[in-house]
Amino acid sequence: MRYSELQRKSFLEATARERAIGLTDEGSFTELAGPRDRMMSPHLPILGEAVSFDDGVVTGVGLVGEHPVFVISQEGKFIGGAVGEVHGAKMAGIFRLALTAYDHAAQEHPHDLERYRPAVVVSFETGGVRLHEANAGLLAHAEIMDLIQDTKGKVPVISLIGSKVGCFGGMGFVAAATDVILMSPQGRLGLTGPEVIEQEIGKEEFDASDKSLISRTTGGKHKYIMCDCNELVEDRIGAFRDALCGLLNRPYSSLCRCRRIGSYELVREQMALVRLAAQLNPSDSKDIWRYYGNAEPDLIPEMEVKEFLKTAHRRPREVE
Amino acid sequence: MALVHLKFSFDGIPGASIPREWSHSGVVGSGDMEVLLTRREQNGRVNVTVCTPVSGFDRVWELVLRRFVAESGCGDLELEINDNNATPFVVGLRLRQALLEARGGEI
Amino acid sequence: MEMQMIGRGRDAVAMLADEGSFQENHVGNAVMDAEFGPGAVVGTARIGGVAVTMIANDAEAVNPRFPVVYFGVIGMEEAYKMASAVYETIEADREKRPGEKRPLVLVVDTPGNAPGKVEEIFGMNKATGAYQLALAEARKCGHAVVAIVIGRAISGAFLCHGLQADRILALPKEYGTVIHVMPLSSISRITKMDIERLEELSQKSPVFASGVDFFHRLGGVEEIVSAPEKMAEAVSRHIAEIRCHKAKGEFEKTGPWSRGILGAERQGRTARPAVLARMQQEFSQVSGRYLR
Repeated sequence: MRYSELQRKSFLEATARERAIGLTDEGSFTELAGPRDRMMSPHLPILGEAVSFDDGVVTGVGLVGEHPVFVISQEGKFIGGAVGEVHGAKMAGIFRLALTAYDHAAQEHPHDLERYRPAVVVSFETGGVRLHEANAGLLAHAEIMDLIQDTKGKVPVISLIGSKVGCFGGMGFVAAATDVILMSPQGRLGLTGPEVIEQEIGKEEFDASDKSLISRTTGGKHKYIMCDCNELVEDRIGAFRDALCGLLNRPYSSLCRCRRIGSYELVREQMALVRLAAQLNPSDSKDIWRYYGNAEPDLIPEMEVKEFLKTAHRRPREVE
Repeated sequence: MALVHLKFSFDGIPGASIPREWSHSGVVGSGDMEVLLTRREQNGRVNVTVCTPVSGFDRVWELVLRRFVAESGCGDLELEINDNNATPFVVGLRLRQALLEARGGEI
Repeated sequence: MEMQMIGRGRDAVAMLADEGSFQENHVGNAVMDAEFGPGAVVGTARIGGVAVTMIANDAEAVNPRFPVVYFGVIGMEEAYKMASAVYETIEADREKRPGEKRPLVLVVDTPGNAPGKVEEIFGMNKATGAYQLALAEARKCGHAVVAIVIGRAISGAFLCHGLQADRILALPKEYGTVIHVMPLSSISRITKMDIERLEELSQKSPVFASGVDFFHRLGGVEEIVSAPEKMAEAVSRHIAEIRCHKAKGEFEKTGPWSRGILGAERQGRTARPAVLARMQQEFSQVSGRYLR
């Protein structure tokens, strides 16, 4: 597919590889530990499960302007984008390379770091730990959180969420721990997936077959109102890429201000939000949309992105 | 319960390989497959390995692959397939798409 | 089995601490709100004479504001309270050098992060993520962080409370200790794989089965401590070792990264290092295009 066509393609429908190629500058993406390396899960064959040459994640490096951009792009069609040993190691490897690239940039361009600073971009499509190799997947999550902390002050980490599976389970907090989160309205972000809530607590608490409930609770518009997603974009690879380029043109300090957690100050802000949760005890996200000043929450789910962005009232941030 | 590995070899057309050293196409979704094509000069032969969770369909694989090699007029290739329950129709379709992509065509 | 510690986070804190030394809700220079996050026990104690911040789960506490938070579940309040305890600890020792800062001891007995609608509306993912980032920061600025699994260390809750430690210790399975993502019965149901076959395979493969021994082989647990009365000695010993590494600036000799290396040494995770090496090698071949 030509690059220009890729830009117009739905992010939701795109494969992990299409997203990785389309997000970086034309012709700049090099896949690392790609299909030709055949780094497949050693654990799936024992269980008689199909394997994939890339273990469900495309990892590599591209450019956005002068910035080396280290990309992780998960493929939801392969076991729901779930993280096993190889998949997790590929993610960790990308963070390690980005940190090395930062050391290089800091040494070569100490006075022009803003221009050459590397970034990590994660296009999430995952339910978290892969049950077939659950223990190794779990340990990989801990490594990635550790590496995200290593990037602080050095490398911006940007989450892109707009794929079919959404971003749930352990990867839900990995995304939360990154600097900036971009979502499309179709993107979904959370910790406990709808099916698991229904199974653990019951259908009265959460009806996992109710698509609009899922979207209201975990979707891009809700997360945007809550300031848990920093920018909401249209469902096109090009729209995500434009937003990404916009971010990388901003000073690093302004990306750090997009964080929601990662300091005591931010934790205090979140604690105030939890107190509000206890006080309002909303039965639906619409209650909180109304609380923040959206007088007609029923209209929000059907709104076009442009109109929504023009009219939506968001949670006021306490930490600037 | 373990995965099934199948091997096939067909007569193809010498010199009818792909322009690049290798090419990859497809996603191992449910009912789908991926294929890695590698150029290899071997008097036109097309060797195929299939890795699949489904057993007992060796004959079907052979038929589908034989037809693909004959109809596409390819040769001098190694094909490595990771399958997850793709139907014969999907297998044929994906192989044709993969070859087209590898040759730089639009799909 | 008379000495099972499961569901007894407070008892474990008392056993670990020098007698009578635990001061609940006093962390660093702060006094924490006792009502907030009742499922999390935080405070300061001495272990072998060393002042430490302790963070534990209380299986008997019920959070009156969030009905899914009981039995040791980590809810939003609990996770932020735990994170606050870490930040107060960092704050209190900001001027001290790595290795001299006060250690954090995590007593682990939790079945999960809170799975509810309100939690998803407000973002439980942020709460558990916040605590993990706080622990990683503490570790990287020179605090020794030791986790000891005394009961349940389940999935995301173990990631939240435990897996960011420098060292992870656990009581053996004979004491009822459970470490896993999911019981085999649930894995069988979700993956539609035959339970009997899974049970058979789990005898050989440490990678998906439930158990302390399997995590040990994967490098996810550094040491299995033979009995509850030996916990305090083991924690003290690991604190001393970690402090030694930190004083020397050896920050990758402990923590999640070092457990990855341990997992390969113990033959539990051998694909991981091969992947990392391949990526490094491939990048070095093209780095000139990207690093200017």
